[in-house]
Amino acid sequence: MKSYFGLYKNNNIVEPIEATVLVFDTSLSIGFRTITGINEMEGWLIKDITYQYNPSAGETVIRTTKHTGAVLVIAGNEAATFLKTVKEENEKPWHKKNKGKEWIRNGLLALGIVSIIFLLYLLIVPWLSEKLASSVSEKTEQQLGDAVYNGMQLSSQEDTAASNVLNHFFQAMKVQSAYDIRITVVNDNVVNAFALPGGRIVIYSALLKQVESYPELAALLSHEFTHVNNKHSTKSIFRKLGSKIFVWLLFGRFGNVASVLVNHADDLKSLKYSRSLEKEADIEGLQILMQRKIDTKGFEKLFWHLKKASPESSLPTFFASHPDLDDRIEYINKEGKNAEVAENSILKTIFEQIK
Amino acid sequence: MLITTTSSVDGKPVQEYLGVINAQSIIGANIFKDIFAGLRDVFGGRSKTYEKVLEQAKEDALRELTQKAQSMGANGILGVDLDFETIGSGGSMLMVIATGTAVRL
Repeated sequence: MKSYFGLYKNNNIVEPIEATVLVFDTSLSIGFRTITGINEMEGWLIKDITYQYNPSAGETVIRTTKHTGAVLVIAGNEAATFLKTVKEENEKPWHKKNKGKEWIRNGLLALGIVSIIFLLYLLIVPWLSEKLASSVSEKTEQQLGDAVYNGMQLSSQEDTAASNVLNHFFQAMKVQSAYDIRITVVNDNVVNAFALPGGRIVIYSALLKQVESYPELAALLSHEFTHVNNKHSTKSIFRKLGSKIFVWLLFGRFGNVASVLVNHADDLKSLKYSRSLEKEADIEGLQILMQRKIDTKGFEKLFWHLKKASPESSLPTFFASHPDLDDRIEYINKEGKNAEVAENSILKTIFEQIK
Repeated sequence: MLITTTSSVDGKPVQEYLGVINAQSIIGANIFKDIFAGLRDVFGGRSKTYEKVLEQAKEDALRELTQKAQSMGANGILGVDLDFETIGSGGSMLMVIATGTAVRL
């Protein structure tokens, strides 16, 4: 907007009177006080006006096609220059509105924006996060895993003898890896095991007690090893971090309710990813067993122990971090259907040391 | 229209005081501007996106103030003051209040 002082005259005003002129993007407003002291305003559309700079008088004369006889005179050529700019801007195609199709255009634009956000959230951010996770060195992962392990303060509960046997067992399985795999048995009544970044695997004694044969132990260790070897924990951390930053940037400013909703949706998405990693660990762990001719029924038996230990969950699968145990048994049986089996006396002997 | 932050104009005495006028503009940066500004917040540096929003809000408030003055028959606004506030949850919107005295010089 620009404002000017000018002289205004129309059919009802004999003598030109002083006026303030405001020029907007599409209109022009003239304010003046009549000789009777009444404030009056007049508005002209930019598309209806004509203007001309008169160099000899040094003034710009503006008229409107809608009100013949009305004349506005502004000193100098500045007003003419500005009006030229405004008129040229209004002539540009994006200012010519087609009201009938405007809502379709806006709707498509909104749809496009939402699609881009979803594309970023569902594909680009996870892909980028995994790329970053893949570039993390084994040493850094090991430091990260050790920091988490120390933070959990599990070393005081460690069963050193059982840990040594399990480490010996895993070495006897001869699984090649860039990681220094360190297995720790922790005395606790939780029937669980987990892998940390960098090579640390934690097995709870309650789960170990339930393991009845060496193929079951081999299945458990190969599953956890795959988590380590495929950087599952590191990828999960990076994906979670990437998603959280993206969600924070998008919805962090939208108040608590929106943030809570979006964060919960994000948690469900990360659970789905967690289930896919568990399946990957099952399948690749099964391949480790098959390559060594270890009975793949070890997986099935291990899942039965887990099923016995965990009460029947009423939650649907998409609320769980692991796939449903029946599904796991089904796909393991399907994949390991034609696997060759041969007795491994070395593993059997080592396993008997913990029984 | 003469708009100034001073209380008088050299060589142009006030003939008539028409009253205090004010105008406000409340503006929200859009979601993409918030994202880029958020990145600026993390990595540091000037946030041109928010600066443009601030400039837009200031222009809108001054335009409205000028229109009010014009409708009162004024040809000048003296003692113009601009106040900037953030409103909305988390201060996500910006409010600019323009205040001044409409006069005839």
